[in-house]
Amino acid sequence: MSIQTDSAIQISPAYRLQWEEAQNMFVLLYPEGLIELNQSSAEILQVCDGNNSPADIVTVLEKKFDTSGLENDITNFLNTALDNGWIKQST
Amino acid sequence: MVGSNKAPSPPRWLLAELTYSCPLQCPYCSNPLDYANFKDELSTEDWKRVLKQSREMGAVQLGFSGGEPLVRKDLVELVDYSHELGYYTNLITSGYNMDEAKIIELKKAGLDHIQISLQASSKELNDFIAGTESFEHKKVVAKLIKKHGYPMVLCVVLHRENIHQMKDILEMAIELGADFVELANTQYYGWAHHNRDQLLPTQEQLKEAEAIANEYQASQKGSMKIYYVVPDFFEGRPKACMNGWGTTFLTIAPDGLALPCHSARQLPNFDCPNVKDYSIGEIWNESKAFNYFRGDDWMQEPCRSCPEKDKDFGGCHCQAFLLTGDATNTDPVCDLSPQHHLVTDAINQAAATSSEKPLVFRNSKNSKAF
Repeated sequence: MSIQTDSAIQISPAYRLQWEEAQNMFVLLYPEGLIELNQSSAEILQVCDGNNSPADIVTVLEKKFDTSGLENDITNFLNTALDNGWIKQST
Repeated sequence: MVGSNKAPSPPRWLLAELTYSCPLQCPYCSNPLDYANFKDELSTEDWKRVLKQSREMGAVQLGFSGGEPLVRKDLVELVDYSHELGYYTNLITSGYNMDEAKIIELKKAGLDHIQISLQASSKELNDFIAGTESFEHKKVVAKLIKKHGYPMVLCVVLHRENIHQMKDILEMAIELGADFVELANTQYYGWAHHNRDQLLPTQEQLKEAEAIANEYQASQKGSMKIYYVVPDFFEGRPKACMNGWGTTFLTIAPDGLALPCHSARQLPNFDCPNVKDYSIGEIWNESKAFNYFRGDDWMQEPCRSCPEKDKDFGGCHCQAFLLTGDATNTDPVCDLSPQHHLVTDAINQAAATSSEKPLVFRNSKNSKAF
């Protein structure tokens, strides 16, 4: 299973993305576990809102950080996230 | 103070053991053998103070456990309060006495997840191990948990009596709609330590069970996540216990004792602090008990010079204490430990134990005898 570029992505229902003030970072919470996210992972997951496709996510983040060439990094992360069940893609 | 002088990382995980009361009698229970001596439970206000202070320190994962947390009358109130504080709330339950109204009430209060335990895949064995007729009800509860939209972890503790049911257990998990399955080989503390000769599986049983777990991990990928907790007695290297002492986990026992690991009450001369006397900040940052195994200054050989010491932190100190009498020894499950023979002896002794030897069930009558 690998990521499709044109269908919308959302955080899986069992997972919750949350800002943690005490640690100054975003974490992904799920039953009995948490993943501490680095800044780029957190940026990507924040726009996995059920509306954006991977292509949209690249556009949104390249605009936000006024840069280009993010597609590979974003696709790699999304594939890892999908493999781990953190995100779901509508089919 | 013993240990390193670096400021400790904040707690991320709070395990709230609300009560030692439990309608089940599992002979591998991790509660202390003499749990019946600890009758004074924290009040609702005590728990709220602990929840608030721990959250401010950085705790974000919260497990309501026990005993059986459903026994506490204020469970819904505590879930509601924790949800408001921003915790991810987990209820770790046997499912006994749970009904649909309670599942709905807890959902409204903001409960994020329910872990339900089953003792086996057959009624006969489940009810024998639980010491209480509960199998059919647990299955009904599991289905209600899914009906009301919770993510569900199904937990089955594995040992010699049920490990042969691995395939049936996994099929049952699929049928019940579990999102996660925790296949937890028994860890030998508390009641499990006492019943070790009857509970330790054989190497052959483990090999077979692990192969089945691996097969289902592959076939269920993407729909049900299967965690297979390896049995450290057979691993050759110790587990990285509690992700490092005093780095991540904070357990509060029913009477308010603050523990770096839920077995730490038994360690002698640790003076584990009580939340009735100290704030969570004082306990986490300053107490002797939480600082004791931080860093590696406490280590003896062979840990001290071991290249893997940052990986497993010397293993489990409670296990070192239980098996060798000294918590600062290398966890003897490590095959580099000069006392590793204690583990191989235990395996051999268990294999030679007759199936006639009765299990000692976890209940108040037996507890008072310890």
